[in-house]
Amino acid sequence: MRMPNALHPSSSFPTKPKRTFPLSRIRLYWRFAVPLLTPLAILLAWEWLTSRAVYPAFIIPPPADVARAFIQAVSDGTLPSALWVTLNQVMIGLTLGGLLGLCLGYILGRLPVVESLAAPLIVAFQSTPVVAYAPLLLIWFGSGPTSKIFTCAVIVFFPLLMNTLVGIRQIPASLKDVFRVLRATWWQTLTRLELPSALPVILTGLKTSATLSVIGAVVGEFVSAGDGLGTLVTSARYQYNTPLVYVGIFSMTALALSLYLSVSLLERGLLRWQRAAH
Amino acid sequence: MTSRLRWIAGLILLLSLTLAVNAQTPKERFLLTFVPNIQFAPMYVAIEQGYFSDAGYDVALEYLNEPDVIDLVGAGQVHFGVASGEQVIIANANGRPVNVVYNWYQQYPIGLVASVESGITSMNDLKGKKIGVPGRFGASYTGLIALLDSARLTESDVQIVEIGFNAPEAFCTGQVDAAAVYSNNEPLQISTRAKAGDCGDVSDVTVIPVAEAGAFVSNGLIANADFIQTSPDKVQAFVAAFDHGLKDTINNPARAYLLSASSIKDLPLAPDFKARLTKLADEQNVLLASTPPPTRDDITASRAALRETLHKDFDATTLLQFNVLLNTIEMWDADVPGTSNLDAWENMANTLTAMGLLKTKVNLDRIYTNEFVPQPPASHS
Repeated sequence: MRMPNALHPSSSFPTKPKRTFPLSRIRLYWRFAVPLLTPLAILLAWEWLTSRAVYPAFIIPPPADVARAFIQAVSDGTLPSALWVTLNQVMIGLTLGGLLGLCLGYILGRLPVVESLAAPLIVAFQSTPVVAYAPLLLIWFGSGPTSKIFTCAVIVFFPLLMNTLVGIRQIPASLKDVFRVLRATWWQTLTRLELPSALPVILTGLKTSATLSVIGAVVGEFVSAGDGLGTLVTSARYQYNTPLVYVGIFSMTALALSLYLSVSLLERGLLRWQRAAH
Repeated sequence: MTSRLRWIAGLILLLSLTLAVNAQTPKERFLLTFVPNIQFAPMYVAIEQGYFSDAGYDVALEYLNEPDVIDLVGAGQVHFGVASGEQVIIANANGRPVNVVYNWYQQYPIGLVASVESGITSMNDLKGKKIGVPGRFGASYTGLIALLDSARLTESDVQIVEIGFNAPEAFCTGQVDAAAVYSNNEPLQISTRAKAGDCGDVSDVTVIPVAEAGAFVSNGLIANADFIQTSPDKVQAFVAAFDHGLKDTINNPARAYLLSASSIKDLPLAPDFKARLTKLADEQNVLLASTPPPTRDDITASRAALRETLHKDFDATTLLQFNVLLNTIEMWDADVPGTSNLDAWENMANTLTAMGLLKTKVNLDRIYTNEFVPQPPASHS
């Protein structure tokens, strides 16, 4: 018969294992809680500011008014409809502008001569604010969604172009030499060396482009109206419905943030091999 | 003292001097809409002629979107601005304490511009047509609905296209059959382009003014309601200065155009045109100084003669902005400029209610006042 061990009483009296709260879990909670602290602080400051009536309610409405306007806009379908229109424009613009930036960035990265030829034009085009030529897009493409999609595509194009170019250029020459010595085909070089090497930088560009894409679509909506979140804000301004203006702005922010997070998740998935290697 | 300390002391001195200079000249911000334009000539005239400085105001003009004008005036950050009547009604219904103290436009300036090729000659021809508006907001949209309503049509009887503030481009590229615009301005631009062959298939335009559908309150000088209560003398002085500028513009458009040139950078003013306007402005001054003084009809006739004279010697492009001014003056001119009437406010409020833009009842009597409108001297006949 096994004797109880005086030094280890628990071994003789089987009790429910003591529940511990591992440090890693606290860290996990903290990691999720920290990003919420800033919005919470802003919300509290906002509530404090409106309760003191520092500004009239039509300049800074109380959070409760904005919440009511949000519920109203959701229940009568105004917000979902506007969000859907802007999201569509953003997704199409992001895809078109992104693909063009990716392809052109790759070509410029591979062929410095082409970069010398195209760079002045691209930089000139990019350095012109979109709002300056957005009214022209209305003449070229009409007042439909095409002008907004184009604005969006233009604004997302440059970050992806630049990041792809940098990503391709930063591949170590020694690795390129290895592929050359092994007589790798263009496709093999692209899929096994260039894309994997440039992907982290390209995805960083995609993150920037994703957030900018909302600005592109909304600028188009501000210029030529129609539908979408930009139009919702304009209409609300002319109806002097400040809480609805806030709802529109927060929706734009939420949309941009969602796109950013989606790309971040995509990045986590695509770059799993990189983390494993480290 | 080290050289660094000397630099810092110098910078502080410079900053103090700058602040002192600024402190000596407090500016009265006056908010206008969109961009500098000849349609704001009375303001430019009042500034250039020193009417505001005589009234104790050093005016600084700013150009903003209409809702921003109303919000800043409503919040008391700025005392005066310009806004359209329907915006003032909606803004008051949504808690903005702004009142119209001077009804600048006596006629509603919005109209429907259509190409002669479209076959639109009256409100009854609008059914099924594509009509452009900047968006479903603002004076143009409200004016269009009022026009449709008078023809017993609704929004669903026409195809409304939202074209932003790009009516001439949308019109000339055939995106719309007609567009709701400021009838004193855009139709002239489109017509000039059309006659120059620069407006697609359009050879000329026709205009259907919203004013044909009834009297609607239009653009006026707005002031913060609390400021009106606490400083009526200052409001009175400001309005009187503006009124003086407006009457000068009505009486002598050539002089007003010349005076506006310093505020509008790209105003057409070639040397020969400037010389001619200067001569005509001097001649008009002689007429105004004559005894007995010219009547309102005499002055209206003198403006018509002025238009005719200039048309003989200058092309349409040179005269475009001057013609905009002449057209706009007709919308300001009245026996007593600046006066509001309740009917026009009620018509507008009814239209807004029918459109669903006005959901609460607004006490229209408290939105505007004629208290500050300078009255003509009593006749002693």
